[in-house]
Amino acid sequence: MRRAGTSAVELDDNLALYDDVGQLLILLNWAAAAVWELCDGSTTVEDMARSLSETHDATPDVVGEDVRQTVRKLAELGLVEDAAGVRPA
Amino acid sequence: MEGPRGGGQSVHRTQTLNALSYRFALCTDDARLGRHLDALFAGLRDHDGGVADHWYSLATKADDTVDVTRDGAMLARGVTAADAVGWVVWHVNRSAVEAGDHHLLLHAGALQADSRAVVLPGVSGSGKSTLCAGLAQAGLAYLSDELVALDLSTDQVLPYPKPVTVKAGSFEALADVGLRPHGDGDPDAGRWLGEEWQLAVGDGTGLRVGRSCPPGFVVVPRYVEGAVTSLSGLSDTEAFFALAANAVNLRAHAVRSTDALGRAVARCRCMALTFSDLDEACRLVGGLVGHLAVGRAG
Repeated sequence: MRRAGTSAVELDDNLALYDDVGQLLILLNWAAAAVWELCDGSTTVEDMARSLSETHDATPDVVGEDVRQTVRKLAELGLVEDAAGVRPA
Repeated sequence: MEGPRGGGQSVHRTQTLNALSYRFALCTDDARLGRHLDALFAGLRDHDGGVADHWYSLATKADDTVDVTRDGAMLARGVTAADAVGWVVWHVNRSAVEAGDHHLLLHAGALQADSRAVVLPGVSGSGKSTLCAGLAQAGLAYLSDELVALDLSTDQVLPYPKPVTVKAGSFEALADVGLRPHGDGDPDAGRWLGEEWQLAVGDGTGLRVGRSCPPGFVVVPRYVEGAVTSLSGLSDTEAFFALAANAVNLRAHAVRSTDALGRAVARCRCMALTFSDLDEACRLVGGLVGHLAVGRAG
């Protein structure tokens, strides 16, 4: 899920995220922003892939791998955390 | 705070000056230097009748060098009058950063065109001070050449009309648009003119001072010798990061800062300016902001 203390500013098709904890300013492109938006603590990676594949005309398998990589990167940056309190592997 | 005490031979004291809530005054034992300081800092006069919290003293010595102190603490010893003034301008700027920390502060110049601010973010050497001087000379109202304060409650750009400080490389371009440093032509000109020029702003200088206003334009200047002077569009993303990269205290205000910058770029027309010709740069920016008086000087 998205970590508390992060604010988002919509810019063109991008999203600038400011992480108050890590004091980082990060730019996400539209695809990464879409994944970040879906990190609400209840939507699974599979649900995200299914949802994004519908809106972006791609198969869930293809989108799923991109979603997993994006979630992993967002977690590395500290922008999301596992809903149970453990960072996703 | 009352004026400096003890051993003072001050013959000249400025009125209280206000730099983003940093209230100070200057005193000197040299009447001509005092008049020079008065004129140079006219843009910062505190019209609210505030009392100075800090005093700078510029004491001349027999060899015509100057000691600069603030509240009795030595800042510079035995420097030229020009360097002493430069020290005061620098120290006031640094102190304004501390005093204005409750605002979002940007390394940027700013001018007022009608009821909107033109914000010029840029690092040292980008040409923003020179461009500010040129645009002010062309008729826009001056807000700052170095430090822009954005009020996070009102989203207004606040005036911080310090003297415009320009480096030797800009002297010729400024002279071409009719700008000379304050004190040029005085019998004492040699004392005031060093490796930097200080341009006075405010009443009687020809460079008028603007008022608080919301940002309407972001222009990111970049001086490139020999380049064709041109304006090109910036995306909101590019403008946002240009502002954020030049924020002095982004972290201090965290989320409020980024939200404010997001609102600013959303309401602004954002451009990049590459320039080598000051006159042409002023004409282009003047056209952008709809200030038709901006054009070829002279």
